[in-house]
Amino acid sequence: MSELWRRCLERLEGELSAEDLHTWLMPLQAREDINGLHLFAPNPYTLDAVREQYLPTIRGVVDHLAGREIPVRLEVGSSAPRAAPPRPASSMPSATRPSEPSLPVEPEYAHNLDPHYTFETFVEGKSNQLGKAAAMQVAMNPGRAYNPLLLYGGTGLGKTHLMHAAGNLIVANNPGTRVLYLRSEQFVSGMVRALQTKSMDEFKRRFRSVDALLIDDIQFFAGKDTTQEEFFHTFNALFEAKQQIILTCDRYPKELDKLEPRLKSRLGWGLSVAIEPPDFETRAAILLSKSHDKGMAVSEDVAMLLARRIRSNVRDLEGALNTLAARANFYGKPITTDFAEETLRDLLNTHAQAVTVPNIQKTVADYYQVRLSDLLSKRRVRSLARPRQMAMALSKELTEHSLPEIGEAFGGRDHTTVLHACRTIRGFCEKDVRMRQDWEQLIRILTG
Amino acid sequence: MITQLPLALRWPRRQRFDQFFPGAANAAALAIVEGAATGGNGCVYVAGPAGSGKTHLLIAACQAATDAGLSAQYLGLRHVRGARSEAIAGVGGSHLLALDDVDLVTGDADAELALFATYNRYLDAGGVLLLAAEALPVALPVQLPDLRSRLGACTQARLVALDDGERRHVLQAQARHRGIVLDEVVLDWMFARYPRDLGALLDLLDRVDRASLAAQRRVTIPFLRSLLREG
Repeated sequence: MSELWRRCLERLEGELSAEDLHTWLMPLQAREDINGLHLFAPNPYTLDAVREQYLPTIRGVVDHLAGREIPVRLEVGSSAPRAAPPRPASSMPSATRPSEPSLPVEPEYAHNLDPHYTFETFVEGKSNQLGKAAAMQVAMNPGRAYNPLLLYGGTGLGKTHLMHAAGNLIVANNPGTRVLYLRSEQFVSGMVRALQTKSMDEFKRRFRSVDALLIDDIQFFAGKDTTQEEFFHTFNALFEAKQQIILTCDRYPKELDKLEPRLKSRLGWGLSVAIEPPDFETRAAILLSKSHDKGMAVSEDVAMLLARRIRSNVRDLEGALNTLAARANFYGKPITTDFAEETLRDLLNTHAQAVTVPNIQKTVADYYQVRLSDLLSKRRVRSLARPRQMAMALSKELTEHSLPEIGEAFGGRDHTTVLHACRTIRGFCEKDVRMRQDWEQLIRILTG
Repeated sequence: MITQLPLALRWPRRQRFDQFFPGAANAAALAIVEGAATGGNGCVYVAGPAGSGKTHLLIAACQAATDAGLSAQYLGLRHVRGARSEAIAGVGGSHLLALDDVDLVTGDADAELALFATYNRYLDAGGVLLLAAEALPVALPVQLPDLRSRLGACTQARLVALDDGERRHVLQAQARHRGIVLDEVVLDWMFARYPRDLGALLDLLDRVDRASLAAQRRVTIPFLRSLLREG
């Protein structure tokens, strides 16, 4: 750090708040030469913030300290190659500005798979067994079994885990294999930077020279035409060379708006598998597995308590577990059901509050665009009967209410009617893709 | 050769861990944030009502990280001029990032996306992300499901507002710390004007401190009245 700049910062401490200093001025790099003091901001936003709010003060202090007028120049960039402090390694989505232009454009090969995400650590249940089986097949026969493999489903259900697990298995079977994992935002920002620095050839070459390309959350490609164009060509090149492509998306890609039709059709060439929200047993098993990994002593009773009350996704389960661990650690208490109930009372209540029968009825009515009063009426036309059965089945799935209570809440119906609704909907979900998607989407809306 | 001393700019003096009065209910939250500040990684989500000490804990964590030789940044979203998404994307590169007023990203698609990307960056890099908001993640109306689920994965540190007795205790202690004598009548008067928000009371105390020093006067109700009229 320039000595002048160091003294300037010390002086500014008396004039500016510490938040301002640390957040906007400390990240600046400084170089001093015969032309004056050069300050380098890590990104355009910081540059603007410093120029608008602090530059006059900085100039004043610098001149004062030097005893003469010293030009101060501010630009985006880096002062010189130097030992960097630990800094985040990935990049930004295109909606935001690239914040660290000095970083290498591409992530490194074969080093960015998370070794913790393997098939062994993946908790299998009905909701995800097909996804796991497909990912394993792909990992055993990369480029041959299914290409591309597309895993889709709501956030926090294990898509990324399966993707890394497949990548890790590919590498374990063939240690020389080049597997590249990245989030879609990294692909986007890497391309934006390649365009800025006129290094598109390099960008193309890097992506096309891998044996397996894993891209997470491709829904963020929606509406980004240039990115889609480039990804389309990358996809074709990899596909033709029989290199494996694994993608994840938060929904069935055909339903993604603002995605080019030709890309959608390519995505359908291989296998698309839905990862569904885990059922109760799987949630409990996930909790036990994660608590085991964290070295926590969590009983089955506690796991069942959390699994019953938190239905949204695996991340919420993990957050609850982390919070429980931190609190138990602080109080030095064992994690009993009472302790969990007490500690997570607000969390569990908020989760429970979100899913009430009236809430389900209203959400289902909105979803199918029928009137709530019709949904609760005695009318038996098909256009109402199906949504009504859906709402009943969801009430059974998502609340603690008994069949008679649910029947009561639906205009005083018999409990056998509710039971019939649950069975009908379950039957439909097994046969009818459309119905299953409605079911999943509604669960997502109600629990997310 | 000149040995360069590491620069250790001070964070606000009032907001340190040892100045945080946890009362009966907030000791665990204090311990969780304290642990994350110097020894942890991952994301801690501090939730609590206005005036319960969220900003205090965030700033104290920045100070503790700085003391431990780690870089730290604090961004209060309510103070951001212009687009919040750009401010969120503009901070970073530090070991610890404290983002205050996270409630304010909800419904702003760009800001939600920027926070999602920031979350990923910090967790990928093994850094620490401290977030603070009034509502728990599950009750925060976040539109981007990817962000909502990530907020749900954070370790939660819940804060509750101190009760009246505890807030009086804090105010008295802070006043003594500054060498100000506050008698009960003056305290009653202050509490009548700022019934809930301890942060606002402490800001007032800072002003009182400066003004009474400048005026060389004891703190009385007429003095406070004239001070607030001027403000």
